[in-house]
Amino acid sequence: MTTAGPLAWTVLVGVGSPAMLLAVLGTASLVNRPLPERWTGPLAAGVMLIACAALSTALVLYSAIETGTRVLSYGAWSSAHEGGIAIEFLLDRMSLGFAALSTAIAGVVSAFSNRYLHREPGYNRYFVLLAMFVTGMVLVALAGNVAVLFVGWEFVGLSSALLVAFFHERPAPVANALRVLSIYRISDAAMLSAAVLLRHVAGTDSLSLLFGGTIASSQIGLSGSNATIIAVLLIIAVAGKSALLPFSSWLPRAMEGPTPSSAVYYGSLSIHAGCFLLLRAAPLLEQAAAARLLAGGLGAATAVFAGITTRVQSDVKSSLAYASLTQVGLIVVEIAVGWYTLAFLHLAGHACFRLLQFLSAPNVLHDLHGMEDAIGDRPIPAVGLLDVAVSDRARRRLFLIALERGFLDSILDRTVVVPFTRIARRLTRLDARLCDAVVTTRWPGAVEGVDDRDE
Amino acid sequence: MNDAWLWLAAVAALPVLIVGLSFLQFDVERLRQLAVGAATIMLLAALAVAASPRFRALSIRTAAVSLIPGGEAVVRVDALSAVLLPFAAGLWLLTVAVTPRAALDRGGLRRTAAATLVTLASFLTESAIVLVLLSVASVWIFLSALADPAHRYQRRIVAVYLGCSTLLFATGVALLIGPGVDNSTIETAGMWLIVVAALIRKGIVPFHAWVPEVFDHGRLGPAILFSAPQLGAYMTVVLIVPRASPELLRTIALLALGTAVYGAALALIQTSARRACGYLFMSQSALVMAGLDCTTPTALAGGLLVWLSAGLAFAGLARCVLVLEARRGRLDLTTYHGGYERMPMLAISFLTLGLACTGFPGTLGFVGQELLVEGAVDAFPVMGFAVVIASALTGLAVLRMYFSLFCGRADPPVHASLGLGLTRREAWTFVALVVALVGFGVAPRPLVDSRFTASVRILEQRRIRAGMPTARQPIRSVRAVQTILVNLASSDR
Repeated sequence: MTTAGPLAWTVLVGVGSPAMLLAVLGTASLVNRPLPERWTGPLAAGVMLIACAALSTALVLYSAIETGTRVLSYGAWSSAHEGGIAIEFLLDRMSLGFAALSTAIAGVVSAFSNRYLHREPGYNRYFVLLAMFVTGMVLVALAGNVAVLFVGWEFVGLSSALLVAFFHERPAPVANALRVLSIYRISDAAMLSAAVLLRHVAGTDSLSLLFGGTIASSQIGLSGSNATIIAVLLIIAVAGKSALLPFSSWLPRAMEGPTPSSAVYYGSLSIHAGCFLLLRAAPLLEQAAAARLLAGGLGAATAVFAGITTRVQSDVKSSLAYASLTQVGLIVVEIAVGWYTLAFLHLAGHACFRLLQFLSAPNVLHDLHGMEDAIGDRPIPAVGLLDVAVSDRARRRLFLIALERGFLDSILDRTVVVPFTRIARRLTRLDARLCDAVVTTRWPGAVEGVDDRDE
Repeated sequence: MNDAWLWLAAVAALPVLIVGLSFLQFDVERLRQLAVGAATIMLLAALAVAASPRFRALSIRTAAVSLIPGGEAVVRVDALSAVLLPFAAGLWLLTVAVTPRAALDRGGLRRTAAATLVTLASFLTESAIVLVLLSVASVWIFLSALADPAHRYQRRIVAVYLGCSTLLFATGVALLIGPGVDNSTIETAGMWLIVVAALIRKGIVPFHAWVPEVFDHGRLGPAILFSAPQLGAYMTVVLIVPRASPELLRTIALLALGTAVYGAALALIQTSARRACGYLFMSQSALVMAGLDCTTPTALAGGLLVWLSAGLAFAGLARCVLVLEARRGRLDLTTYHGGYERMPMLAISFLTLGLACTGFPGTLGFVGQELLVEGAVDAFPVMGFAVVIASALTGLAVLRMYFSLFCGRADPPVHASLGLGLTRREAWTFVALVVALVGFGVAPRPLVDSRFTASVRILEQRRIRAGMPTARQPIRSVRAVQTILVNLASSDR
């Protein structure tokens, strides 16, 4: 550790405790000796509480003694070469605040899930994945270099996909999980490409330099065009992770997971991870006007699209997910405009509010059913602005687009999935034909009539 | 002979012992238990060799079978080989511990031990001629595993591809040590032949078609044992990297990067688990090759690390498929087979090993790929993007395989009491492999440092050779053979 002070230790406890939980629960699962329910739930909630307390303390300590940003280094992976892969955290009020918020929300969800998933066959698996998720979120929040950021980013993505497939005895969640993961991999690839480019042009992967404003950027020799390309790649990464257009189609698919995981991922934290990254990258965006415009445009388009789509969803989780997306779009617009404090407050407030909505959704549905039974019919929906201001024909078109969720799935299928699959199948057949050609060629001393490949 | 030599001889004697015992009338299961014991002891001894600096001084150098004036080490333990010895031992242990009984008979145990011996001997030498001989031996062992008539097609494919590879290798070495000594054109031609031999052996596009075919329709166990140690990578490190021109290395790296993306993309759409494994292997093996052909210490160290991590993880992944096939028959990826609840250890092991293959954070593969990208990106930025794309696609392919093989509702077993879980030996082997890959992923420092030492040494050799005058002495044994042949010819006349 560069500075073995109380701040460094509290941050270490905050990051280390969910990681330790992941190690303990993961090892128990690996050797097929999962901890009993009566230990797992309280242990998870307790660890989240410890992490939250540690990170909150770190935030208070930091606010008392520091201003600006500070890099905490916990050593490198290798003593044999300089620079590169190091365990570094970038501390400021925003990163510590988001990390503390993440652990607090995870603690609430752990306590809720303990009862919600009682005697569920995948109970232990759920908590392993939740621990992986929280570890990932804290790393994303505090990352001081691209390697650490990527570790967190990948943890969030993998745990998300595996939780979508939580009820894995049914085919639909599993197929949807693969779809979600496909979009996440595009996001990961974009982020890593940004990192590669950053390393190539600046020779560093330090986020303190990348996100450190104009002076820092000029120090690392980041020109306008390079800054724009890196920022655009980051925006693609953010769009994938936060379900911005054109990647929004994975969001309703992700609702296959258990409600607490939907709450913490798609209502509360994971969907905001992209916004948080964009917020961190704000100094970079300020140097890349085109990228800023792109972010603003994507945010606004997503907000409008999600705002319309959420109105026609027939299940509460999808409706809430699109409602979340509306706010996420607005947060991205706020970042693009430059209202950073507002964006962070919006993000934190929305994460807490939507968590509450998701977690209480089953109860609300239960109450609604009771009310419908009592009145003998469905409540009459209120007349909205669209009903008054838009013609019938336009409303019908909007309804169709919203019902089909913008046809994003079919567009993605036609433009990416089908051509990719077709080309890959042709290449596979070509490989097989190449083998046939080799076997049927008359080599010296060849055996006649060999064609038993399918035996 | 000092203690270190005795120690090394004991390590090498263990597979020889098993080969010998396989000819006696031992019960096969008993022989297998002995093989597991021998492999475990060999692994521990090899770890001791890797950890102890005393062994690094071991070397038998001779100019008799050498390309260079000072001679080459026929047997040596250095920073590169010290870590490869436990790697070879680990692969042997994995094979004998988890291969299903039906797939590993007496002949299989013998071949496995012999293949390990060949791998071990290869990792201990830097002599080109010895490597040619060992290459012939390894191909012969692989062909003997495909001897049954059901695999005649695959046997022929292997014979053509790997036969060509070995022939080109031998010809390339012959050109280098014979007429190429004072002739740069012939020397370049010899180098190219060795390069093509290595590309075929590693399944680099366009010489790759044998890999998916042999994995899919051949015998998976021998295919893994032949492929996982990646002797083609060793050929590259020992023979190509120190001698090849930067342009040649760049060409190899570009082909390898193309293969990494190609293999990953095709693995994603396969309907057969075995074929998907074949393409995954191609992709990972190509990444290793790309890393080895970068002339920066960091990228080379990354390539050496990916070699270890991808070799172990891929071997474990493919063994998982083999174990699963023993319980379910041939595995089709177009349906969901279910069974997570009945085989959670296998499912978790499969997922973790697959992720380690793709360089997922927290595993050794991540460290290797990070170093690879970091080291290559200055000199060769396209490598960074290719690694990113390949990694994204392989990650998807592995998750698709996992979902298909372990998710969904499993068919009810014919006999409810029929256990599908792992045996104790299988379970602990997979757990140990996962712990090793994750452990070194979380605390990679010793391994990273050792790979850096090895990469610096390899690049130092390259630097020395680049500064050397081109004239080299042909090997004495070849001169001697030439003299004898000339004398014989004249006496005949």
